[in-house]
Amino acid sequence: MTADASAAEDGSETFALDDGVARDVLAEALRTGGDFAEVYAEQRRGRSLRLDDGKGEDLTSGRDRGAGVRVLRGRQTAYAFTNVLTRDGLLEAARVAAAGVAGGARTQVADLVERRPPLTHPAAKDPLGADRASLVAIVKEADDAARSVSGDVRQVTVSWADSRQQVYLVNSEGHRSVEERVRTRLVAQVVAARDGVIQTGFEGPGAAVGMELLDRHPPGAVGRVAAERAVLMLDAEPAPAGEMAVVLAPGSGGVLFHEACGHGMEADIVAKGASVYAGRRGERIGTQLLTGVDDATDPGAWGSFGFDDEGTPAQRTVLFDRGVCTDYLSDRLRAAELGVPRSGNGRRQSYAHLPIPRMTNSYILAGADDPAEIVRGIKRGLYCDALGGGQVDPASGDFVFGVDQAHLIADGEITRPVRGANLVGDGPTVIGRITAVGADFDVRQGICGKDGQAVPAGLGNPTLLISRITVGGTAS
Amino acid sequence: MSACEGPEAELLAVLDRVVERARGGEAVEAYGVDETETTVKAYGGEVESLSSARTRGAGVRVLDGSRVGYAYTADLGDEALAEALDDARANASVATPDEANVLPAPEPVEGLPGLYDDDFAAAAPQDKVDLALALEAAARQGKRVKGVDSAQYADSVATVAVSSTTGLRGGYRRCDAFVLVEVLAEHDGQTTSAYGLDFARLPGGLDVEAAAEEARTRATRLLGGRKPASAKLPIVLDPFATASLLGVLAAALNAEAVQKGRSLFTGRLGERVGPDWLTLVDDGRLEHGPASAPWDGEGVPSGRTALVEAGVLTGWLHNTYSATRDGTRSTGNASRAGFKSPPGVSPTNLFFVPGDEPPEALLRRAGTGFYCQQVLGVHSGANPVTGDFSVGAAGLMVRDGAFAEPVREATIAGTLPDMLAGIAALGSDLRFLPFGGGMGGLTLLLEGMTLGGA
Repeated sequence: MTADASAAEDGSETFALDDGVARDVLAEALRTGGDFAEVYAEQRRGRSLRLDDGKGEDLTSGRDRGAGVRVLRGRQTAYAFTNVLTRDGLLEAARVAAAGVAGGARTQVADLVERRPPLTHPAAKDPLGADRASLVAIVKEADDAARSVSGDVRQVTVSWADSRQQVYLVNSEGHRSVEERVRTRLVAQVVAARDGVIQTGFEGPGAAVGMELLDRHPPGAVGRVAAERAVLMLDAEPAPAGEMAVVLAPGSGGVLFHEACGHGMEADIVAKGASVYAGRRGERIGTQLLTGVDDATDPGAWGSFGFDDEGTPAQRTVLFDRGVCTDYLSDRLRAAELGVPRSGNGRRQSYAHLPIPRMTNSYILAGADDPAEIVRGIKRGLYCDALGGGQVDPASGDFVFGVDQAHLIADGEITRPVRGANLVGDGPTVIGRITAVGADFDVRQGICGKDGQAVPAGLGNPTLLISRITVGGTAS
Repeated sequence: MSACEGPEAELLAVLDRVVERARGGEAVEAYGVDETETTVKAYGGEVESLSSARTRGAGVRVLDGSRVGYAYTADLGDEALAEALDDARANASVATPDEANVLPAPEPVEGLPGLYDDDFAAAAPQDKVDLALALEAAARQGKRVKGVDSAQYADSVATVAVSSTTGLRGGYRRCDAFVLVEVLAEHDGQTTSAYGLDFARLPGGLDVEAAAEEARTRATRLLGGRKPASAKLPIVLDPFATASLLGVLAAALNAEAVQKGRSLFTGRLGERVGPDWLTLVDDGRLEHGPASAPWDGEGVPSGRTALVEAGVLTGWLHNTYSATRDGTRSTGNASRAGFKSPPGVSPTNLFFVPGDEPPEALLRRAGTGFYCQQVLGVHSGANPVTGDFSVGAAGLMVRDGAFAEPVREATIAGTLPDMLAGIAALGSDLRFLPFGGGMGGLTLLLEGMTLGGA
């Protein structure tokens, strides 16, 4: 085998291709006249354990490995991947990729030079050091805590997932980087029921860390929070409909910023004119209070890394600076196309995918307002504790978000819980109506899908006041 | 199961070697996939990207008594497979015993010869590139078309095999090709977008003109859309919107969800859920279905399952585990998200048995109503557990039985049971869309819904 995965005594493992073979593969990839070639090799070990109905089931583990060869020529891309990591398997992938572009002068492969990431996100406690029995104990603890919340709890599902991804990347410009990324996540989903009403609750912390995730998020607390959410919503009334003031709790609004603003700032969407933010850099779109960033350098955060999946160092990119549309999120290709610097946002789901511009951790930064004061100033509105998923049409910016948990605000007080609400609007309009930003901040974790590729995406925001937005509720 | 030769036999031989290692008292199943995919994206009259790839892997399920464990590997070498088997054993060792964990016994299977066509191998890469370019060029034409967001041709040829200690053995090959295009339209500073697609066994069976025309028409007719006035009126779902709705229903008709109380239909078997002429069927053996296969993700023959018959809820989608738990037979709906996943439950080709009226007749029946072309937020807004339904919508008003002004930022809210009960007519335009299996798109008339707007 050309790929070498060797275990050290401490249990850590390196994964790399032979540099000599990698150079030959790059040279083969450039034979037909490509002007850039890259080999991205990856090994990923993952485990997932799901406790459903209080029973340990679906403990799955495995190892996936493979390599993708990318060749660029002008604006054309050719890609081939294989999970046969022998010299022959890799050269075959290079030949297939090279055949996808043809013509032009031969480009030489530069000497490979090792790059070090600007920062790393090391796992203090290696997940693979935690044996299966201890994982079962973790999910059971969360399950027990959820069930102890109320007799109305009907179903509890707890899942644990850990992964160790090792990336080896070389390109014809001589870049060579190796990185290990560890991620862990604990998710509790609870169904509560009473008198024919069924409600669900969710809590799912995750991070680019090892088992120390559980020091910050003890399993019992994760299970309890999910159950409390479900039980609380049993007493909820149908949400009102119509335009009103909406307050987004810390962490809950990050998904809205991600979907309604972040995607439209991705350079591939911008370059095709399919973004409502295309051609608007320098224009004030949001209010003065809105500063939003994409930050792959946040230590140990869910969407963080050292290098992106093209070897560009992790960065923090300002998307909106006090309301002004600032920088787009780019990968190698789109940075060149738009004439902007690479922002380190070229990400891929795995070796089976081409890198495309993606968010890492998209955050609205904290402001100066007292969260309690923000609510006190509202006569009638909706306080959103948790948003569900949403969908956005990037061309128009139109979005719809489900609200998983919310309360009515009446005369400056958070009052009764309401359910079945959703938020309907468009990105530019909404960020132009952010009229208060809290001094608090919290994060959530999501899996973002785009072009058939799913990657971990961090979300974060302080308490936010949107002065007016359409709430689609079910109350008549 | 089916006798096989060629690539199926080769993959099966690899899986057999895993199964042979089973110890006494242990049941072992090995499931393997070997898939080659090609994707060509066109942009601005050029090939933007061409991707070609082969993925192989196997998943091993071990039953140690009634405890189950699963492990996978992308390396089909003997050493890696042995490691996966050991991993699966170790995973089983910490699982809770559950008598419903059994491997299916072999049953006679009829092949589906239409799934694979030898002509697939004859399609030249250049033909695929030409299809992508033709798609993009066709989509670009027309008034108010601003551009093409994405235009792609994709195909796949896959060999799937399964072998187990119950004596179940089989393999099959399938090929699929599809084109997908998203068109952007613009007028007066407003941009809209819409998809068009086509699906076939062979690249030559794809109609790129029709896919482009579909995307252009759907994008341009939304231009000038405004928020409608809130009103209670008939709503006509277009085939794409109906397919999205079916995806939500499928989640609630999954026996695992029902057993765990995670379905709005729990406890409602045998009850009336829709009008007395309504039939909802899952059929894994339709010749032109995107999700057709001779057997499911654990080797059980696929079949036809009536989920709603004469308006009455009559069944669930089962795999072997959920069926054993209910004391019934698997419906052949075990699904795999590739070799990395143990069998779950998913629909195959799910559809309402169509009516006999064309879409125009449904518009005339609606008289004054809303034609819903796009639903936004189905994933979060339609809850298969609680039945609450609240999604964003875009489309056209219907006046005097015909399309009138476009609408955007509307909402449709209610409950799924009310929605099913409110189905007033189904169009004759059944067409399978490759969304999460094969969802039967058709025009559907709903009565008694509320359109939310300003």
